[in-house]
Amino acid sequence: MEKRHNSTMYLLILFFASILIISTNLPALAHKVIIFAWIEGDTVFTESKFSDGKKAINSQVLVFDRDGKQLLEGKTNNKGEFSFKIPKLTDLRIVLNAAMGHKAEWKIPESEIRETMGASENKAAGGSSQSIGVGLSKEELKELIDESLDRKLRPIVRMMNESQSKGPSVTEIIGGIGYIFGLMGVAIYFKNRGKKA
Amino acid sequence: MHISEGVLSAPVLITGAALAAAGVAVGLKKMDSDKIPQVAVLSSAFFVASLIHVPIGPSSVHLILNGINGLLLGWLCFPSILVALTLQAILFQFGGITVLGVNTVNVALPGVICYYLFSRLVNRERGLISLGAAFACGFLSVFFSGILVALSLLFTEQSFMSVAKLIVVAHLPIMIIEGIITLFCMAFLHRVKPELLGGIYGKAT
Repeated sequence: MEKRHNSTMYLLILFFASILIISTNLPALAHKVIIFAWIEGDTVFTESKFSDGKKAINSQVLVFDRDGKQLLEGKTNNKGEFSFKIPKLTDLRIVLNAAMGHKAEWKIPESEIRETMGASENKAAGGSSQSIGVGLSKEELKELIDESLDRKLRPIVRMMNESQSKGPSVTEIIGGIGYIFGLMGVAIYFKNRGKKA
Repeated sequence: MHISEGVLSAPVLITGAALAAAGVAVGLKKMDSDKIPQVAVLSSAFFVASLIHVPIGPSSVHLILNGINGLLLGWLCFPSILVALTLQAILFQFGGITVLGVNTVNVALPGVICYYLFSRLVNRERGLISLGAAFACGFLSVFFSGILVALSLLFTEQSFMSVAKLIVVAHLPIMIIEGIITLFCMAFLHRVKPELLGGIYGKAT
């Protein structure tokens, strides 16, 4: 009994020591692939990376419409980026196919596309303008606001992108280990109960 | 080594799940109550190891530790790895629930194979042979995992050889690192707790 207790102790010490070492440099870890997409004007920009922040370069990107029909495909450049003009007004499903069985997707709903497409259509039409104040039509004003919002929001979009790709937190890791030891307790309980009965 | 959700076709997923279930059943049958703590500790080690990322090579690779798992647990590494992978899928979104079976087999089976190949050699008197076997165990378990991943992708990717090559090359640094880690772990256990190696080995055969 004493011996067994000792060996488990050794393993435990080894194990917790390794956790301490690991948790000191946590942010740049993990293994999952992520694609993130946003619209600017009439173009969809995508960024792909592994969850440790490494860019998924030269990976295949497929774009599907609502019915699962493939609209276009392309490859990410050496920054993990890929952009394309919005091919048609529908829900877009953007699928990233990184090598070795890694896959991720991002959806852009139709409503979001319609808003931005609508803005650019107005621009093309350029037509009837209600003037308000100093020579600016309502549409022109809206366009200007949209443009500057796009520009101003870009860092925030980036930030969201960054936070998306954060690796697992310490809480999750410790929680997972807790689960494993909890299961161990349950397993021992049932094994021992079986013995006594 | 975690294959994502939605990559594999249904027959592959079902085959993987069936094989994993069989392996887990064998493992659970061999599990005595005094081995449960050891299984839990190694399961947690595997659970955490996947977070240790090695920034070498073209892709994103991490430690696997299936060699140590297999060497110390034999068939018990099936339940150990299934539990860890399930938690990784739920908590970290690594892999996924539907691919759980395939991923379990891909990681645990090489562990079991290496157990049969190397446990005798590793359990010898501490020396060049036993240390060499420990290294080979860590190295080859990752290698076999790569081959199994390529096999499971056989029906989705175009050519087996090119995928296998890609995976093996990407994991070459990991193989070497895992070999070294396994070597040091075994050397440590040899010195501190040799009965930990012998005990499992004696009972499971």
